[in-house]
Amino acid sequence: MKNIARRSVAPVIAGLVLALGACAQGSATKTDNAPATAGGPVTIRYMNFSANGGHEKDLDAIKAAFEKANPSIKVQVETTPYDAYFTKLQTAVAGGTAGDTFELNYENFVTYTKSGALAELSGVDAAAYKPSLLEAFQADGKQYGLPESFSNVVLFFNKDLFKAAGVAEPTADWTWKDEQAAAAKLTDKAKKVWGDYQPISFFEFYKALAQSGGEFLNSDKTASTFNSAAGKQAAAFLVGKAGKTMPTEADGAGTPDFDSKLFKSGKLAMWHTGIWLFSGMADAPFAWDVVVEPGNAKKASAMFTNGVVVSSQSKNKEAAQKWVSYLTSSDVMTDLRLKTSWELPPVADEAKLASYLKAGKPANRQAVFDSLDATVLPPVVERQQELQDAVTKELTAAAAGRKAVDQALADAQKAVDALLK
Amino acid sequence: MTATTHGAPKAVATTRHTRGAGSRGRAWRNRGWVLFFLAPSAVPLLLFTAVPMISSIWVSLHDWNLISAMRWVGLDNYTDLLTDEQTREVFLHTLLYCAGYLPLVYVGGLGLALALNQRMPARAFFRAAYFLPVVTSWVVVALVWKWLLNPSNGLVNTILGALGLPEPGWWTDPTWALPAVILSSAWKDLGFVMVIMLAGLQAIPSDVVEAATVDGAGPWQRFWRITLPLLSPSTFFVVVISLINGFQVFDQVYVMTGGGPQGASQVVVGQVYDLTFRYGRAGEASALSWILFAVILLITAVQIRGQKRWVHHA
Amino acid sequence: MPDQLTLAPPPAPSPAVPPPAPAAISTARRRWGALTLLRYAAVLAGAVVMLFPFLWTVVTSITPEGSLADGPRLWVEDPTTAAYGTLLETLPMWRILLNSFWIAVVSTLLQLVTGTMAAYGFARLTFRGKNVVFALYLATLMVPLQVLVVPLFIEMKVLNLQDTYMALLAPSIASAFGVFLLKQAVESVPRELDEAATIDGAGHLRIFATIIVPLIRPALATVAVFAFMGSWNSFLWPLVVIRSPEFMTLPLGLSTLHGQFTTEWDVVMAGSVFSIVPIAIVYLLAQRHIIAGVAHSGLK
Repeated sequence: MKNIARRSVAPVIAGLVLALGACAQGSATKTDNAPATAGGPVTIRYMNFSANGGHEKDLDAIKAAFEKANPSIKVQVETTPYDAYFTKLQTAVAGGTAGDTFELNYENFVTYTKSGALAELSGVDAAAYKPSLLEAFQADGKQYGLPESFSNVVLFFNKDLFKAAGVAEPTADWTWKDEQAAAAKLTDKAKKVWGDYQPISFFEFYKALAQSGGEFLNSDKTASTFNSAAGKQAAAFLVGKAGKTMPTEADGAGTPDFDSKLFKSGKLAMWHTGIWLFSGMADAPFAWDVVVEPGNAKKASAMFTNGVVVSSQSKNKEAAQKWVSYLTSSDVMTDLRLKTSWELPPVADEAKLASYLKAGKPANRQAVFDSLDATVLPPVVERQQELQDAVTKELTAAAAGRKAVDQALADAQKAVDALLK
Repeated sequence: MTATTHGAPKAVATTRHTRGAGSRGRAWRNRGWVLFFLAPSAVPLLLFTAVPMISSIWVSLHDWNLISAMRWVGLDNYTDLLTDEQTREVFLHTLLYCAGYLPLVYVGGLGLALALNQRMPARAFFRAAYFLPVVTSWVVVALVWKWLLNPSNGLVNTILGALGLPEPGWWTDPTWALPAVILSSAWKDLGFVMVIMLAGLQAIPSDVVEAATVDGAGPWQRFWRITLPLLSPSTFFVVVISLINGFQVFDQVYVMTGGGPQGASQVVVGQVYDLTFRYGRAGEASALSWILFAVILLITAVQIRGQKRWVHHA
Repeated sequence: MPDQLTLAPPPAPSPAVPPPAPAAISTARRRWGALTLLRYAAVLAGAVVMLFPFLWTVVTSITPEGSLADGPRLWVEDPTTAAYGTLLETLPMWRILLNSFWIAVVSTLLQLVTGTMAAYGFARLTFRGKNVVFALYLATLMVPLQVLVVPLFIEMKVLNLQDTYMALLAPSIASAFGVFLLKQAVESVPRELDEAATIDGAGHLRIFATIIVPLIRPALATVAVFAFMGSWNSFLWPLVVIRSPEFMTLPLGLSTLHGQFTTEWDVVMAGSVFSIVPIAIVYLLAQRHIIAGVAHSGLK
């Protein structure tokens, strides 16, 4: 009786509308979307979030270059801010009107693959991409998306504060212990100067876990394994900072732009954050630099990647794939991303990235590439958002002192396991 | 619906001539008028609210993450929700919200209306000032409120601190997150109640008040015995609408606390939103909305039934 | 309900100020004087609390690199309109404002027409099942929009209305809230007026147009403000149903100012000013009718 598959709610709505329409004379419904016209240029829609907030023109430039190279294809770009993007995208998919191509961050990729919303890509030029990134957008051995960009997290530090406190600047060999010791010396609550900042969240936790040598999920993703010795170390490391060397929620942490304002005002010595903030900090009124994040049992740097996919609803999959290939591997894209600090291009040929090293502050941009030697992507499951929220919620409770760290970790594991069933 | 267009003009034309005609003709004519006056609102409400509502019942019987095909689960979503601890919590928070919000906004709005019903300098300015928050978007003002109630350096805590009063953690403290939302909501909607009550106050014939004064009633007695009872239709409207809206509180929670900390301020519609758009559980979200619907309907029905006892119609 | 008074001669402005008995005049006056002062002080203090967040919004928008995070600062050393410049540069503000304004005006007019007619139907016509129909109207207010958005979106696709002005307007052609408020107002108009008109040979249409509508002007103004505001501030529905930038409404435009990682708060606040000012003007225009209008629209 159960499990009778129903495709969608559309027939029900159509039925109701028709029933209402029957009362009125004539039909209210018009013809369905016109099919793609033969011969003329094909229009491909592309929904994205990452161009919002300053890179709209850069995306337009890539689009223009693509259209020039492919006169028979037009691209219609629809940019939505990140906060609202997934609401819009999901509704569009539900209504069968998603763009031919759209952007997905790695964390959401699995949900969309498992739901059958993506078209498989064939004949991908694998050599063009960094292999680990290309793999990230595979499922069951099939390519369902192409990596579009990536960025990672490094340790920002305020050189002036280190100098003033007489503490040696961080190096690539630093471990948690070095970081903790320096943070304690740098924190000066009387002057409202904090030694360290790192959000207490799922994203920092999975990374700290990897740095401690732990695993988040078992190999077949049927159960979580983070409530381990390594997990406890990671959670204790994060939670232990709160209030000691790092501002707490009650100090305002977690509000929009709290950390970037704090760093920029010269009141934060060390800051774990993404390279996307380089340009925002370029005009900070003090000397600063970056370094590979300190490790624990080993090094592990957080990496984020966005990909582009072709919708299984697209009527022009071939043209759509041409666009996503261009968007992810063309030299035009590579140059533009490097020039405008729009994350990093996913290209395999690292020689192409050379100009990034000289693109301005910070001096040690090499750390960005050094971090890539040991990166860790977030664990992803079908019910990703719930998993992230559950872990963040428990860790936040521990940081606010409402729960013991061990208890929070055990509760998080229980919640996550329930999501994996 | 066809009758809408045809029925009306005919009825207009025949009104005069057929007065006093058979009751059947009158009944048909009446029906034409009912359609004429109701159809312009009934058709769009049916088409653009009722159809999605009924469709959402269909959705509520499925497991659906919006991006995959729907899977029939029957009443499972409802039974799951009704036994879920979290459902109980979000309903409790919503109820607490209403319980805190309604008295605050009603008493405040009424007091304001009483004060601003009297002549005073710059009265129009004050009325506009108190109404301004009502018309602005939560997205705009919730951000400002979030900063006003900032536990560490917000203005509210700065003032409380200067007065030697305790400084609550507001949205970082599970105990205070909901009160923070209630406070800012009352701030925003005070002007709404004020406007409705002002209109009601002006509708009170002054001779009634004067007669009571002549009979020796003091201001306090006049308020309880005359003003308040005569305001009862306005009160009724405010209470019904505030509860319908209050049970669906969402925007301010979403922008100010995001339902946190630790879900301490999560409300029913916040949960509906999360389930639909963040967690891919649209079926459960629809089911939860229908449970909410049942609650609001019950409360509204009780009020409408009970209005005869205390609402004085002109 | 807001309008029974139209029948009474323009009411004495304050029911709470009684004509005092001659003997008590001097003491009463002194007592009332102190009370009035107290009341005035309270109203003034309240108004400051009401307006403060708006003041802060404006101040932040003219502060160089303004940020809410720094706490309230009501004095700006070197005010700048740079944020407004950035705003006009990043967004086609005039087009966006025009869109929002046009949609808000049309949906307000539609709601006034559909709402007043329905209100008359409920208040003045008798028909079987009236209470049930009214309850059904109210029921449309009881399911949150968040859960209706997806089915409504699919319906728009069925009707082939996606990405059109019509789709933006669809959910706000009629509102049960407006019907409820207007129904209360119509009910407060004494039936004797209708009856007198009927004797003069007026039908429903004439009673509706010449007696009811003029007498419920305050309620109409109130509904107009709420309808305008609902459309002006609506975010979720335009977000999902619109994809062409030429249909972009103000809340959608302003949301693009929030970056994934960083946000320029001065620009966001400048955007907020753009969103608040027009609607404040709409209210100020309507306020005359909502309250003072009552005295003018008395019996003709």
